[in-house]
Order: sequence, then C-alpha cells, then structure tokens
Amino acid sequence: MKRPDRRQLITLLGYAGAAAVYVTIGVLTTDFLLSVFVAAAFLLLTVWIVPLIVRRIV
Amino acid sequence: MSWAAHDLEPYAIQRHSRLKIAFVPLLLGSYAPDLMTKWYVYGIHIGGWKLKASDPAQFHRGWPGLGFTHSFLYGAVICLIFWKVLGSKNWGVSFMIGQWAHALTDAGDTVGTMLLFPWTHHFSVGAWAYAGQTGRSTDAAAYFSGLGGMWDLVWIVYGFYSWQVLTRSYFEQRVFTADGFWRIANKAVPMAALLVLYRAAFFYGTSRWIAWTIWAHVVHHYPYDLSWGGPHWVHAAHS
Repeated sequence: MKRPDRRQLITLLGYAGAAAVYVTIGVLTTDFLLSVFVAAAFLLLTVWIVPLIVRRIV
Repeated sequence: MSWAAHDLEPYAIQRHSRLKIAFVPLLLGSYAPDLMTKWYVYGIHIGGWKLKASDPAQFHRGWPGLGFTHSFLYGAVICLIFWKVLGSKNWGVSFMIGQWAHALTDAGDTVGTMLLFPWTHHFSVGAWAYAGQTGRSTDAAAYFSGLGGMWDLVWIVYGFYSWQVLTRSYFEQRVFTADGFWRIANKAVPMAALLVLYRAAFFYGTSRWIAWTIWAHVVHHYPYDLSWGGPHWVHAAHS
C-alpha cells in the first residue's frame, strides 16, 4: 500500500482537526449532525476559508 | 436503515466502477431515497404543527407509502428522466447506481426494501434492527449499538485503506474529468474549494459515525448488542 507523503499528512491533520471540532459540537448538540450541507459548509469554513484568511494576514 | 454507509459507499463505487461515473449524481442517488422520506419518518415542526407519519416504517419502506423510493424501479425512472429529458446519460446512470446501492444497503435491516417494486415483497437480510419509529435519538442509539453501525465502520475502514480516492490528484484526474458539472462549478469556485466539497461526504460520514458512537456509548451508556437483528433492547419494526 502506498504511503502518504508529508504534504498529504499535513492535509490529513487539518481535516482531523476539523473532524475533532465537528464531533465535539455534534456530541453536545446532536442537531448539528443531521445535515450533510451543514457538514460541507463547516468543512469549507475550517479547512479552506479560515486557512485562506490566515495566509493572507500572516 | 443505514446512516453513514450512504455517505461513504459512493467513494468505493466511484473507485471500482469501470463505467465513467459522475460523483455528484452518484452521491445524490445515494441520498435520494431518504431525502424523500426521513423528514416525515422522524417528524418535523412547522409553526405549531407537527408532521409525522403515523406508521413510520410503513411510510418509509412500504406500500401504500413512499417505500418505492427504495426500489430499483425508482432509480431507473430517475435515470431515464436525467437521460432522455435532461440529456445526460452519465448523470442518469450515476444516479441510478447510487440509488441502487442505497436500496440494497437498507435491505440489511429488519424491515428491508421493496427492491422489485411494484412487487411489494420486502427483501430483508435482518442483520440490524429498524427503529425509525422510535424517534431519531433512540434510532441513532440502536443503530450505533448494532451491526448497522459496524457495517458503516467497514466503509470507513475501507475508505481510509483506499485513501488515494481522497487525494487532489485523484480528484483532478478521475472525478473532475468525468463530469462537466465540476468544470462549470470551477468557473465560480476555486479548485481547492471543489476538492473540499468532494471530500465533504466522507468527512460527514466518518465524523458523524464517531460523534453518534460517543453520544450513544460514552454520554448515554446504551449497551452494544452485535447479535443478528439487534440490538434487542429496542423494539424493531418488521415488514
């Protein structure tokens, strides 16, 4: 099985962080887990928009 | 009924199919039967009114009811609409494959699905309890305590084993090129955001599986029962 390279592992780390936040909110408020559209919007925000803003500021 | 399997199966189908598959309608087909029905199975509030099926299992899977949404015929009809009316054979076939996967997966529970509708016989493997009639929370607790949750886990593990399907190169070479939808979307949305959206269903399926499992077994201490047709602590509906 091919192993992921360093860049792919960093990407995975970003998604894992987003998942940890999503799961935490979801366990506390299960309504948050009910829609794939909410999940997609959350993912866009956490792994694309926020990093984009941070990169522009820094 | 199944939960995360419907989010995750399209990635495996897309990878293994020898046909040219469009991912968006494939995913849409995988969601379609429940998009039509689940809101009324669990019930919704509109203003002061509560809309809910008096017999959720019958409404969801039966006839009379909307059980035909879980049949091969339903997928074939929508396929023909995409193909002959909207002019996209690729979208039609991809939708049908996703919808058939949903119907086959849901045949795993105790109610089963009318796969060969208009023949109203329910095909049921009976591996896990159908508990939609108990409400969303109890249904979730039951599902993630029995073999249904384990079936979802198989797809999660398989997804991580086949992690290349989630990479940028796979998306650009296999998914983006298979469907004009992505090229049109790319005129308004950057490739990086489209890649995130492509991965979203996998993220959703995996994350909600973890969240519901923690909710059911760490927060509420529902017992696991991985016996056939379980968990037996919930009243399971049968066809």
